Order: sequence, then structure tokens, then C-alpha cells
Amino acid sequence: MSASRFTGGVELATGIGLRSPHYRHILSEKPTVDWFEIISENYMVEGGRPLEVLDMILEQYRVVQHGVGLYPGNCDGIDRDHLKRLKRLVKRTKTPWISDHLCWGSIDGSMSHDLLPIPFTFEAARKTAANLRMVQDFLEVPLAMENVSSYGEFNDSEMTEWEFLAEVCELADVGILLDVNNIYVSSINNVFEPLDYVNFVPPERVAQIHIAGHSRYERFIVDTHDHPVVDPVWKLYERAIERCGPVATLLEWDGRIPSFDEVWTEARKSETWRESALAKKGTDAAA
Amino acid sequence: MRPLEQTQREFFAALQMPLRGRSRNSTDLAPSVEGHSPEFLAKAESLMKAGSNLLPAEQLELYHRQYWFRLLDSIAEDFPTLRKIAGEGTFWALMEAYVCACPSASFTLRHLGRRLADFTAEWEEIDATRRRWFAALARLEYAHMEIFEAAEWEAVPPEQLASVELGLQPHVVLLELPVPADLCMDWDKFMPEAEALTHLAVWRNESGNSAQCRIDPIEFVLLSRLRQGSSLAALFAEPTAREPSPEEVAGWFANWQNRRWIALAPTAETENFPVVSQRSGGDIDWSRVDKMGSQARAMED
Ligand SMILES: [Fe+2]
Repeated sequence: MSASRFTGGVELATGIGLRSPHYRHILSEKPTVDWFEIISENYMVEGGRPLEVLDMILEQYRVVQHGVGLYPGNCDGIDRDHLKRLKRLVKRTKTPWISDHLCWGSIDGSMSHDLLPIPFTFEAARKTAANLRMVQDFLEVPLAMENVSSYGEFNDSEMTEWEFLAEVCELADVGILLDVNNIYVSSINNVFEPLDYVNFVPPERVAQIHIAGHSRYERFIVDTHDHPVVDPVWKLYERAIERCGPVATLLEWDGRIPSFDEVWTEARKSETWRESALAKKGTDAAA
Repeated sequence: MRPLEQTQREFFAALQMPLRGRSRNSTDLAPSVEGHSPEFLAKAESLMKAGSNLLPAEQLELYHRQYWFRLLDSIAEDFPTLRKIAGEGTFWALMEAYVCACPSASFTLRHLGRRLADFTAEWEEIDATRRRWFAALARLEYAHMEIFEAAEWEAVPPEQLASVELGLQPHVVLLELPVPADLCMDWDKFMPEAEALTHLAVWRNESGNSAQCRIDPIEFVLLSRLRQGSSLAALFAEPTAREPSPEEVAGWFANWQNRRWIALAPTAETENFPVVSQRSGGDIDWSRVDKMGSQARAMED
């Protein structure tokens, strides 16, 4: 298994995002699932239902934390209180690694609650990497940065998104959560070749992969996580596995959420793609 | 090239501008034919790169929409009774004004409504009667959010009541409202009754659901003292506006204990790992747990 430095040495296969419409099914039927990913912010509370259900899930399943509110690209730094709450949750979940998004999202304490795009400049790369180093030191658990889907690019950018991702993660020495759906969404919105992106990512840093569906409009895509995974995204996934090896794979489904079985069946399609990718990798290595 | 800080300030300022024209169609805000403001268009041109299949203004607008959609969806979910009582037009005008004036200041959208009651109390677009009622109702509905995620401390066993420092369970919110806003929960539309100072407690009951009840003004004072932390003796050391009868006090105490309101403040160690009472997963409404996510919202076009 590659990337063990960024996964705390833990090897996981297929997982799905833990979402409230499935709690009842999961708690009563106890389906076999390798692991669940939780959105950290939903459980960064003092008590009540969120922690109650989390403790019940933790009794039976491996849980990995995924955040939406770290905002490492913020020019004004990282919120210390946020980190303290996050670390408290890490102690509870014993997550083998923790991920969040390579984005910014607030200024002067006002929150966008969105994953806003960072201009791909050397200044932004340095500042983001410095923030991430501090986070990594504080949390004491391997950290992975996810590439976000985007709806535009800045005039000020000095490099491509994939160069920026690699630059930041190398400067900060953190792992990567590669979201192949986000690559596809951004490639349509910002017009680039998605395979160039996948082929550039440093494979040894990839700790986890996200797959998801989206909503296609006439001239752009919105990253709604409310559909099955489309074929071009599976092809990017296959290529990513071919380069990175059998990385932990997680399906995100957040809107119009179907039954647990439907989500789990969609997630398990990744296993077929993973096998074909690993077979290709094997053939290439033999050749 | 702009410094990163300037880019982020300009981008964020654009997100906070009101939604215009077609972007309002995917919301419940009153429709408008007004297009983007010249400032928004100028900001888009200077920040965003031309040359993709989206114009700079369209790129910025996609973020602008998502910002508003997310906040409006979230806050409407948290104030269902205010929405019903205020009526759609007034409610959405209030939400738009509120989000403009009071951007989110917490990592979680659950706290988005924290300042809504204060804002509503000063909102000049409605008459003074509505301001009082709507603000009180907003305070009450926000209390239900607060208790949803508040800590639970160990209840004090009866035999220790007289010997330990007592506290009020964190998931009990005490409210002193200028009008009986709890009545609104049963109304279909705004039909104000006589105004009277009203004391309420909102808490999480044993099955984890939120509950509320009226409390006596003296009971409110005693519970407020408990919130500060107090021994049993000190609770009655200061006089109250009215001297409650021993029967009343005994009745209140029995209620507080039944509801596990009298609690022990945790030590530093347990505070790091809050207690959570375990129940079976059966018929519990988990719907409000997922407030935050990484997905965007679908839109009309
Ligand atoms: Fe993702």
C-alpha cells in the first residue's frame, strides 16, 4: 500500500459518506461497510444527537474525519478554536487521518460556508502551506488536502491548479485527498484536460480518493453530489488508481439521497474499476 | 498582481451583495428584474479570468448564488414557526436583510440564527407589535437549536443535593420574553394576544427531543442562580420578589430533578470527553444532524 505515511499506516478499501437518512438502517441492519467518512463540523458539538449517533457508529465501524471548515487558504490564518474543537473530535473518533479542502472560506471572522477557490499564486501557496504545517503540528494526525471543484479561475494565477496542489502539499508535507469528480467538474467549467491533472499529481501523497456525481447544466457543472458517478469520472478514477495504487476510496452522495443499498452499490462499482486499473498497472510493470 | 488578502476581501464583498435578477429564481426571495450592479460586474472583470466558457461575471455569480442559497436554506430550516407566522413575503425580506447585516460568524450553520432575534427587534420594515412578537419567537426557536447540541452533565443524585455545588444542565435554556411567543407554535397566522412578560424553559428531554414549558417568574430567578453555580443554601440566601411557599419550592425541585436539570459541572478531564446518554437507534429523528456538507445546491439555470 502506498501513501502509508499519510494514512497513519491504515489501509482501507471502499467507504461511503455517513449521512443522516441512513442512520436508522446502519444502526439496525449493521451492513458490512469498510469505513464511513463523517463531516467533522456536524459533530463538533458539546453533546446531543450528533455525538450520540457518532458514538453508536464508532462502536461498530471505522470512521475517517473529513472537514469543510478549516479554510487553510485564508489569508488571515487558521482559527485556533476551530482546531481545538477538531482535535477533541479526533480523540473521540481515533480517525487514522483527517482531510479538508484546499480552499479558503472566511475573512475577519465572517464565514462563507463554501469552499472558495484560491488564486494559484506563489504567495498563496506559501501562506497556505504555512497554515497547513501549523495545523499538522497541532492535530498530530496525518492531514490530507482535497482539491475542490471550481466555477472559475483568477486573473492572478501563476500556475495550473494541479501544479498548485502539488506545490502546497509538498511545501507543507501533507497528503492529498484526490477528488476525481472535482477534477472533472473543474475541467468542464475551466476548460482543461482532466487527465493532465490526474497524471501530474504526486502519487505517493495520495491518501484517499473521492468519487461523486454532479449536475450538468448547458455550459457548466455544479458539484451537487446528487447523482451516480458518470463514466468520464470512473475513467479518471481508474487512471488515478493505476498511478497511486489501491487507495482508500469514498463515494459522496449528499443531495436527493437514495437508499443505503443504492449508495453502497454505487460505491462498490469502484471495486471493478480498481481491479482493472491494478491489472493494467501490473501489465505495465511486467512489460 | 493583488496580494492574496485583497483578492479575498474583494471576492467576499461580492458574495455578500444582494442576489439579483435570475439568481433569485432558485430562492423564495421576492423576484426582481434588476441585473448585476456595476460594482459586481467590475469586480468580476478584475478578479476572474476570461476565456473559459463562462464569462467572468458568470463565474463570480455561481459563487454568489451558492453563498446565498446555502445561508437561506439553512436559516429557513431553523425558524419554521417564524416563517409561518410572518408569512412568506415578510419572512424572506427579513432573512435577506438579516444575512446582509449579520454574516455568519461561526464554523457551523447551526449558529447562523444567533443574532436574528436582536436584528428582528430593530427591523423597521414591520410594526412595533410584530417586532416584539417576531423577535421573541426567533429567540424561542433559536433556543431549540441551542439545546440540540448543548452538553449534558451528570445529574445530581438526591442524597448529594445539600452537599455539592449545583449547576443547571447546559441543555436547559431559560427565556424571559416580553410576549407569550410560545403561543405562536399553535397559530396558523399572526394573531397577537395580550402582551405579558413570559418565562419559559426549553430543554432536551430524556428521549433526546426538545421540550419547552412555562415557568414561574420566581422559578426563573432560582434557575438563573443555579446556572451561575450555587449551593442549595445559597440558592435561597438572596430574597426574591415574592416569597414562594414551601410546597411550591418542593414542587419545582421535584420537576427539576425528574427532568435532570440539576447537574454537576464536569471536571476538566470529563469536559474533554462529554457524556452522551445512549439510547437505542429506533425511532429517533436524526434529521438535524447533517447541517454542513461539501456539496453545492442545484439551481434553475
Ligand atoms: Fe470531495
